[in-house]
Amino acid sequence: MKYVVETKNLTKSFGKEQAVQSLDMKIAKGEIYGFLGPNGAGKTTTIRMLLGLMKPTSGSIQVFQQDLKKSRISILSKVGSLVENPSYYPHLTARENLEAWRKILGAPKSRITDVLAIVRLSDVANKKVKGFSLGMKQRLGIAAALLNNPELLILDEPTNGLDPSGIIEIRELIKQLPQSHGMTVLISSHLLSEIDQLATTVGVLTKGKLIFQDSIEAMRKLAKQNISLRVSDQDEAHRLLLAKGIQTDYQKDRLILSEFTDEEIANAIQFLVQKQIAIYRVEEEKRSLEDIFLQMTREDQVG
Amino acid sequence: MLAILRSEIFKFRKANIWALIFVGPVIAIFAGLVDSGELPVNSWVYTVLMMNLVYAVLFLPLITGVFASIVCRYEHQAGGWKQLLALPVTKGRVFLAKYLLLVSLVFLMQLLYLGAIYLVGNMQGFAEPFPLEIIWKSVLGGWIATFPLIALQLWLAIWFKSFAAPFAVNVIFTIPTILALNSEKLAPFYPWAQPYLMMNIGGKVDAMFFVPWDQLLIVVGGSFILFFLGGYFLFNRKAF
Repeated sequence: MKYVVETKNLTKSFGKEQAVQSLDMKIAKGEIYGFLGPNGAGKTTTIRMLLGLMKPTSGSIQVFQQDLKKSRISILSKVGSLVENPSYYPHLTARENLEAWRKILGAPKSRITDVLAIVRLSDVANKKVKGFSLGMKQRLGIAAALLNNPELLILDEPTNGLDPSGIIEIRELIKQLPQSHGMTVLISSHLLSEIDQLATTVGVLTKGKLIFQDSIEAMRKLAKQNISLRVSDQDEAHRLLLAKGIQTDYQKDRLILSEFTDEEIANAIQFLVQKQIAIYRVEEEKRSLEDIFLQMTREDQVG
Repeated sequence: MLAILRSEIFKFRKANIWALIFVGPVIAIFAGLVDSGELPVNSWVYTVLMMNLVYAVLFLPLITGVFASIVCRYEHQAGGWKQLLALPVTKGRVFLAKYLLLVSLVFLMQLLYLGAIYLVGNMQGFAEPFPLEIIWKSVLGGWIATFPLIALQLWLAIWFKSFAAPFAVNVIFTIPTILALNSEKLAPFYPWAQPYLMMNIGGKVDAMFFVPWDQLLIVVGGSFILFFLGGYFLFNRKAF
């Protein structure tokens, strides 16, 4: 497998504190990689290292199968990025800001008009950016990231400060980039709901450690299904099932069966019916990705 | 490299403060006009000496710092450094582009100063022809003497986010120039005094500049290397 981004043992320490620990990040071509983690987990530090804005304490970074240390310039000419809070020159208009960066990237001038249209800033193109709202600045940042039609787009918390309709707009925009432009996207967020609707692969970072990295489907599978039972005699049912070797979680008004196959559930219910216990409700309780995410990050804090 | 420089020029031009390069020469014009009367020696030379006192002792070293702060200010304001350095550039080239821009600005200002001298002379109606060769030496020498000061100011402007801090340091080093110039022993070694000394018409006519070569190489050259490398390495080590 050839990866667009591959880090090995990537570590960054600030004094004693390890902000990023032995990160092995792998992003395949055409993926939308959701980089998830609570605030302060080390996402931005990782992204800064990927862009060469910060030197790793140890470990290696390969982008487009080239070593970042050796080929930084040729790599960055194919990367577009938005890091943390929006960056801009307050004394320039939106168009002039893009022009200052375009001169370095060598993109055609017409591209400025294009990217302004993509992020819907055409109307305010000639206004000074210092008067922009946070959302508008964020869009300008996304426009800047798209300026060189990059092969790898790195967006650090891109929906920060956007209103709900802006979030949806940007999400739709990012979603279609891999197909329409062959881009690979790395998008970081502390909100799972954002990544959930966007990402094809997920990496979860807590306290500088990558505790999960796989497809979004694999993460969804982790959303173990629980079956809750409401029966006529809960104590009796609990005892009977236990006697048969079926462990249930006894709760106030229901019994919870977790991690059972369809067949096992069927058998358990049949058994209860035979024992003259009336079944009122059999319900599936799906855990949301949010729960898994919270559990993952919490487990790590305990351990 | 050229692309980075073009971007730097663009950003500076749009800052609408380039008019600052006129301030020094205009002040110098007034200084040149005020002191008329019975002029001793060559009236051109006398006028230039008067104008230099105002322009080269304080104004020239101070304005380099202001320019340096400006070209870093808009990078500090809202994450400009980060955005710029995530582009396909090296820090070394960005540093060099900013330095070259500053050096070019001071060169433009020196040319304006040369024009200012010419203007004053014509307004005063000097009989002698414009001594272009001597004055050109003075203007060029003064420019070269600012190289180390520009490097130090750029270093400080990158280091401090605030606009005022590098300027304060600049003032602290520039003011003693007045004292240093009064000491024949100290003046040749004080970097901030070099612009004035190199612009100060006098010395041997056949020499390239108005200060001896060894002073130029050791004091100006030495402090340039020190300040330029200092700023260069600081910028390279700094994380954005």
